[in-house]
Amino acid sequence: MPERTVEVVPEEGLHARPASLFVEMVNDHDATVMIGPEGAADDDLVNASSMLAVTGLGVAGGEKLRIVADGADAEDVLDALEELLSTPEDEL
Amino acid sequence: MSERRLSGVDVTPLAGVGTVVWYRPDADLPDPPAPSEVDADAEREAFEAAVAEAKSELQAERERTAERVGEDEAAVFDAHVQFLEDPQIADGVEERIADGSPAPHAVSATFDEFVEQFAAMEGRMAERADDLRDVRDRLLRVLTDGERVDLSALPEGSVVFAERLTPSDTAQLDPERVAGFATVTGGRTSHAAIFARSLAIPAVVGVGDDLESIADGQTVVVDGDAGEVVVDPSEETVAAARERADAEIREERVSTRDGRDVEVAANVGTPAELAPAAERGADGVGLFRTEFLFLDRDSAPDEDEQYEAYREALETFPDGRVIVRTLDVGGDKPVPYLDLPDEENPFLGARGIRRSLGPDSDLFETQLRALVRADADTDVGSLAVMLPLVTTVEEVAAAEAVLDDVVADLESEGVDAERPEFGVMIETPAAAFMADALVEHVEFFSIGTNDLAQYVMAAERGNDAVADLGDFRQPAVLRAIDATTRAAEGTDVWVGMCGEMAGDPALTELLLGLGLTELSMSAVTVPAVKERVRETDATAARSLAESALEATSKDEVIELL
Repeated sequence: MPERTVEVVPEEGLHARPASLFVEMVNDHDATVMIGPEGAADDDLVNASSMLAVTGLGVAGGEKLRIVADGADAEDVLDALEELLSTPEDEL
Repeated sequence: MSERRLSGVDVTPLAGVGTVVWYRPDADLPDPPAPSEVDADAEREAFEAAVAEAKSELQAERERTAERVGEDEAAVFDAHVQFLEDPQIADGVEERIADGSPAPHAVSATFDEFVEQFAAMEGRMAERADDLRDVRDRLLRVLTDGERVDLSALPEGSVVFAERLTPSDTAQLDPERVAGFATVTGGRTSHAAIFARSLAIPAVVGVGDDLESIADGQTVVVDGDAGEVVVDPSEETVAAARERADAEIREERVSTRDGRDVEVAANVGTPAELAPAAERGADGVGLFRTEFLFLDRDSAPDEDEQYEAYREALETFPDGRVIVRTLDVGGDKPVPYLDLPDEENPFLGARGIRRSLGPDSDLFETQLRALVRADADTDVGSLAVMLPLVTTVEEVAAAEAVLDDVVADLESEGVDAERPEFGVMIETPAAAFMADALVEHVEFFSIGTNDLAQYVMAAERGNDAVADLGDFRQPAVLRAIDATTRAAEGTDVWVGMCGEMAGDPALTELLLGLGLTELSMSAVTVPAVKERVRETDATAARSLAESALEATSKDEVIELL
């Protein structure tokens, strides 16, 4: 399964607006996306289509996120999420 | 019985007297029946129906809040919808219903699990716990047909007490009936505090658990000035609070000790703020934002709809002036029927007058037609038109020509028309530098200090890291103000100010010394500024301003105040 580890650039971390956009983007693609902190085991990943799960991770700005995608759009959704996470919050 | 005082955080400089009504949305559910007696399918249906109803409530409240308070406060309801529809919530509720739990208990337990998880985290994460509680309580109310206090139908003179007031709660409060509120938790920037300020409700937040010691039906004074709740107040305390509430407000116009008239007006962003502004003694409206007419809808408002809205403002101030700012939108706010560009930095992009003279010229013309018609009505206050984000003389000349054409068109159509007073906001360094040329085209300037300070200092106010730079007491900001008032000296152009700086009573003397004759602010600070105007001596104010203009640092300016 394609996966990436990406640094979370928005200062606030994966929270509020960035989190909301993240979840929206996951739900707009035909893929199952699981996320967790850098180095998290497969069993510890959470479903990225849930705002609760995503904000519940408490990932802060500057930390790295492991993203695993499965499905027809897997590569596309990884590209899109990587771009989102690499954009400072005031440019979102 | 002797009175007792509890202290908290002061939110609005107002006092109110009333009867306590405790608002407890999270009252305990009755014990659930045995799992074997629960019809899981019926509970599933009840849950799904409740989600649908809660969603439509949230959408309605989003619109209502956008209109009454503002877009920023309304955005929280979008997050609520996301939580409401979250798959983890749906899964958790489904699992519990399958295990024999009734829908309300399943909802309560599922949400509480996440509330606990979020509340244990720090900072902004903990705030999500409040959002989750809010969504949980809404769902529970829908599911149990809500046997709780109806905030929108309280008896007059109620003082609402609550653990916390959520955005959903505050959106229902009627300022006509609520004498004040006090909460156990919360700070100066909480949703409830922002709401209280914009609708001028006396409020104290963050009182702590002691608030629980006060029962329903007790008489209290909520003193938002001192940040106190007074229980069983003595007759003297009640009389003092009532008298202070009366004495604070001056409906008459004010002048300095040596007789210089100063107009003290209110900034208004929605029609709901008009009446509270008049009640606080504002002489008029110094900044009537018109975005509320254009946002959150699928098509632009037509001329008649706008005319009615402007007329309503003029009716509220029959002897005053209402300064209407023409539409100020850009890439930072979505307006579905406008083709707003995706810009790197919308605050330095195509917005305000730039769009009005460009892609939105039809919209601009329609707005001016409605404004000219409203000003022609002689039974109400007088209207002034103000352009946002002006930077060049050509912009003002072009807008002036459009206004003249609109007046001529209406006259030739046989419609009552009057050319309103015409002015510009000074909120860019360019406008301050060019003020001596702009005077040829306008009748007034209004200095928008929030944006002027940001653009002069290249520092965003909301950014804590540079908040000190973005302060309007920076000498560079004072010099930009001075450049504007000096350009108008000896002409018929008057200079006012709208923005937070105008509403700070500690700065009133300095601003009058800098030559401003009109100050416009949040309604809530109008009485305090009127008081300061009456205490000011124009000559002393002038010398204070001269010293401040020689200051080379913000600290030096603060020392002079």
